[in-house]
Amino acid sequence: MRFGTEDYQPHDVFDELVDADGSPRPPARALCEYLATLDAGEMRQRRQAIEAAIVTMGISFTTYNDGQNIDRAWPFDPIPRVMAESEWRRIDAGLRQRLTALNLFIDDLYNAQKIVKDGVFPAELLAGSRNFRKACRGISPRFGVWANICGTDLVRDRDGTVYVLEDNLRVPSGVSYMLENRMLMKSVFPEVFGASHILPVDGYTAALYDMLAALSPRLEDRPVIVLLTPGIFNSAYFEHSYLAQQTGAQLAQGSDLLVGSDDVVYMKTIAGLRRVDVIYRRIDDDFLDPEAFRGDSVLGVPGLMRAWAKGNVAIANAPGAGVADDKVVYTYVPKIIKYYLDQDPILPNVPSYQCNDEKEREFVLANLDKLVVKPANESGGYGLLIGPRSTEPERQACAGHVRADPRSWMAQPMLMLSTAPTWAGDSIAPRHLDMRPFILQSRGLYVTTGGLTRVAMREGSLVVNSSQGGGSKDTWIVGDA
Amino acid sequence: MLSRAAESLYWMARYLERAENTARLINATQQLLLDLPRGASFGWDALTRIVGLDKLFQQNYAEPDEASVVDFLLNSQRNPGSIQSCIRFARENCRVMRDVLPRDLWERVNSLFLASRRYSQPGLTRRDRRDMLQELIYDRQSVTGVLASCMSHDVAWQFIGLGEHIERADMSTRILDIQSAVLLPQQHQQQGPAEPAHALLWVGVLNSLSALQMYRRHAASAGAGDGGITGDSVLRYLICDPHFPRSVMFCLDALETHLAELPHNLDPLRALRIAQRRTDRATAEDLGPGRRHDFLDAIQGDLAQIHDAVAREYFHLHQREAALGVAV
Repeated sequence: MRFGTEDYQPHDVFDELVDADGSPRPPARALCEYLATLDAGEMRQRRQAIEAAIVTMGISFTTYNDGQNIDRAWPFDPIPRVMAESEWRRIDAGLRQRLTALNLFIDDLYNAQKIVKDGVFPAELLAGSRNFRKACRGISPRFGVWANICGTDLVRDRDGTVYVLEDNLRVPSGVSYMLENRMLMKSVFPEVFGASHILPVDGYTAALYDMLAALSPRLEDRPVIVLLTPGIFNSAYFEHSYLAQQTGAQLAQGSDLLVGSDDVVYMKTIAGLRRVDVIYRRIDDDFLDPEAFRGDSVLGVPGLMRAWAKGNVAIANAPGAGVADDKVVYTYVPKIIKYYLDQDPILPNVPSYQCNDEKEREFVLANLDKLVVKPANESGGYGLLIGPRSTEPERQACAGHVRADPRSWMAQPMLMLSTAPTWAGDSIAPRHLDMRPFILQSRGLYVTTGGLTRVAMREGSLVVNSSQGGGSKDTWIVGDA
Repeated sequence: MLSRAAESLYWMARYLERAENTARLINATQQLLLDLPRGASFGWDALTRIVGLDKLFQQNYAEPDEASVVDFLLNSQRNPGSIQSCIRFARENCRVMRDVLPRDLWERVNSLFLASRRYSQPGLTRRDRRDMLQELIYDRQSVTGVLASCMSHDVAWQFIGLGEHIERADMSTRILDIQSAVLLPQQHQQQGPAEPAHALLWVGVLNSLSALQMYRRHAASAGAGDGGITGDSVLRYLICDPHFPRSVMFCLDALETHLAELPHNLDPLRALRIAQRRTDRATAEDLGPGRRHDFLDAIQGDLAQIHDAVAREYFHLHQREAALGVAV
């Protein structure tokens, strides 16, 4: 496969591997030279090897199809996405800055609310926030950090600028795919790792353990850490079980835990009840504690909020952290960074229109066919309107929703996401992608080296979410030396 | 280890073992039918009684004929003890416990499941069925192989061992009961237990547990007349032999080894001793035709007690602690 020829031409967008002339960008040069040595037959062989490895490694359970298939395979594309270390360093710094500011913001909202009093963040937005948990008022978790694990989605527009698209501060998923993708690549393309200086990604699980352990309320002992999963029917169950295995945490469901009259969380073990220090929860706030939130939840643990409020157990992410995971709050992040850190944001937001502002709302309604309109509180690409690709009835329905509840909507110009060469049938073609790095914060900060690259497998599609038919690629941060 | 995790592993092992032994039971029965003398009759409904599911069977089927009983034991979704159900449950438990089990195990268990979906194909002959069930037994043995050779003998492994050996001991006593399903015609009954038709029955029992060869080599009475195969000696071998892995005593000894590795094992060990004492002291009368059935029932009762003690101590201990206010 050759680049810069009829074999592969990016179409009027920024391509991660080749420039506008189709020549390999410097960090991707070794990779492109290597790929050029593979003919279609060899490439097909490697792909078969990858598919076999996916089955063996148990990443998916799609070896059967019985109508009750509750895990889906996540298509993996064997051509990595490449970024220079120098560019990555700047993004890394931007992500640290962003999460630090967001955690100061959340801690402020649940305590003094200085940012509201100083008129930087509107009180009515706070009042209308669905993810603000009154039960968390007056609480400050260890280190003042609420969002211990954040998955921030980055996209690159046509001119090469990298924007932050959203911050996932509730229960971000996908990190296990980042790690497994690298293992797959090493097993199937070992040669190419010799040709470039590719920075390793496997420090994540150790960093995750350290981050969680630092939250323990009992610092004298080795902490007991539990990963709280909604169970086998959750689409991310594979990841829950993977991370538990890698960090040595107990993989528990709500029914495995109880809160005693001493407001301490215990897990039910074969040796009786054992105290739990840290809960890495992979269930939403709503389901955490039927006493405090949704009473019909069978996934959570009654009394958990009580135990947490007393400081007897740490929960990551802290209940209520989702208040900053809101696409309307997102539009304020540059101001939030300025307010708490007195710094300019290193990473720009995508320019956004706030529908609760009358002028901006009218602009949005007048330009629905050009904009992307997003609900404030949904994730996974649900409820999204992509203006230029929508129909008139879809736009009318959207306008109705925005008028009825402006606080819950925001809009952005349509970005032309960057592409990278992706295996499509028997040839290689450009496909749009984004990137989700994971940032950890407790005593200190940690950022994954690169992140999970998600790719829209269908031609022209801009939706990369796994729930909407997206796939993934290995992400290489290549040393500049 | 979480109680739920221990319970899942224990049941995964029990279901796998139950599937294997039910396959053995069906195959043994089919072999037996071919060897029965003219005029003998076989009560298929006895098979449902042997596995303790006769009531459930009667609720779901009109006639206890071969087709119905085999369907019930092999395929029925409504029978939680059918081979298909057992494999499905084993697979679910295996899936939940992926984080502690060797990766190969899932693939082996999944392939058992894939194969089991063929059991309900229409138009299967007895011979097809025999081949499929034999294949199931081989696949199940490869699961055993993965567990034996690729898994740390840690706490998780002990729970798998507990489930496997309780179930195996239980099913061995049930398969021993299979001869009660056969009604020999008058003239054979009068000629007493040395009658060749009887010997054939017991060969069938030994074969179903892959025990015939070992029995011939090791059983104390194997050299005596009538081919050495009498009900009493087969029972003694499959209950009291300390070296044959499907004998009750062997399984009880294995349970003791597994329990020794677990905390607060006093109650389960106490329940185990009752079963060990019963098999140690089995008299000729206990194993003879008159008392045989009751004796096997008594062992099954002992095994149920061991299960209850294990469940109380490891799966539900927290309930007791919570009730007592320990740490709560």
